[in-house]
Amino acid sequence: MKYARPAFVLFVLITLQTTLFADLDLFGAKGDITMLLPIAAGITGGRERGAIVGFITGLCLDLVVHGTPTGFFALGYTLVGYVVGMLQAGVLRAAWWIPVLTAFGASALGVLTLAVVGKFIGIEGLFVVNHLVRVALVVAVLNALLILPMIRVTKWAMPATTRSGRMVPV
Amino acid sequence: MALSRRSGRSRFTLALLLLTSITVLTLDFRGSSAIHSIRNAVSSAFSPVRDGGSRAFSPVSNAWNGLWHYGDVKNENDRLRAQLEDAQGQAAQNEDAKKQLEAISQLEGITQFTQLPSVTASVIAGPLTNFEHTLEIDRGSTKGIKVGMPVVTGAGLIGRVVDVQANRSVIKLLTDPDIVAGVRLATSGETGLLHGQGDGKPLVIDAGIDPPVKVPQDDMVFTSGEDRATFPGAIPVGHVTQADLSADRLTQVLTVTPLADLGRLTFVKVLLWEPPQ
Repeated sequence: MKYARPAFVLFVLITLQTTLFADLDLFGAKGDITMLLPIAAGITGGRERGAIVGFITGLCLDLVVHGTPTGFFALGYTLVGYVVGMLQAGVLRAAWWIPVLTAFGASALGVLTLAVVGKFIGIEGLFVVNHLVRVALVVAVLNALLILPMIRVTKWAMPATTRSGRMVPV
Repeated sequence: MALSRRSGRSRFTLALLLLTSITVLTLDFRGSSAIHSIRNAVSSAFSPVRDGGSRAFSPVSNAWNGLWHYGDVKNENDRLRAQLEDAQGQAAQNEDAKKQLEAISQLEGITQFTQLPSVTASVIAGPLTNFEHTLEIDRGSTKGIKVGMPVVTGAGLIGRVVDVQANRSVIKLLTDPDIVAGVRLATSGETGLLHGQGDGKPLVIDAGIDPPVKVPQDDMVFTSGEDRATFPGAIPVGHVTQADLSADRLTQVLTVTPLADLGRLTFVKVLLWEPPQ
């Protein structure tokens, strides 16, 4: 039961990514809504949770898409989740715009990370600079717009727990 | 103390997850049948959800694309584009026919692609993320499709089948740098190697065309179909838009614009032709 909510959120996000967002092109780039989950998990739960959620989200996406090797998104999203979690540890989150800015930066960095991972594992053609900048900007803007509702969803799906394992109310 | 313990644990978790990801990637690259089977099973199980989702969201994506791409003329535009592609392909074939006749004695044994049996399929999904150059079609092994078969439209070559399930196949597009095709220039008959350069970039021929060879602007490019070629001969690919010398000045680098509009494919033909082993 503990995993039902995160599984549901993950399922909805992957469905949205592979249907709605796969069809919506903006300046030749698509949104990357699945990347929001590790970012939101990193913001709300820290680096360990960010990394774990990133790994699971990426692996699930890897199993559904058909043009990249299995493990590609798992590797990229794990790094994104961890880095966001690391950043949030040093930030006092008093202002609403800090998660928005974090999502913007982390998403752009995430696109670049995926391109670097792709380069390392021999997926050619990801480093077309104009295209990469366009993709990074589109993904960053979209994710910055969606991060606040996504944080609420993440808190609902993965509430913080106390050391004894009790859930902390959202 | 507690903070450093937590920090150490999270680093350990990160290392473990990265190691697992790299292991999965390695297994996939080595063609692990287990990974392939799991991926196929998940993909097949998820495909009804995706089909349903695509249908449900199609009004939204249509409205969005209409907003950005003048959707009210989209259907008309698609129809006209298909007609234009057919005409371009036909014109390109006519241009090449003369050269084919001249070379027929040497090219004996090469089959024209229009004579090959084929399976028509509709494109059910384009690239799902920003990091793919693939399409998914609604025909698979039950129709005789196998990995490695070439895929064309009325205009010409668009890619190759890279994964096949019972009723679905995945096509890697020509824009993917992994796809390399032996090609021939219509005017000179010179052969070279063509490959993609990724999204938003034209194709390029950067091997095989010597500097003295004259390459006119808009010269047509066809698959060469030479011995052990991965594509059958005489499939129109594109036209040359730019010719430069390589950095070492030993060969020409030709920029090629594909004839087929790879970003707006709705129907494709899989040629039931297998490359020689």
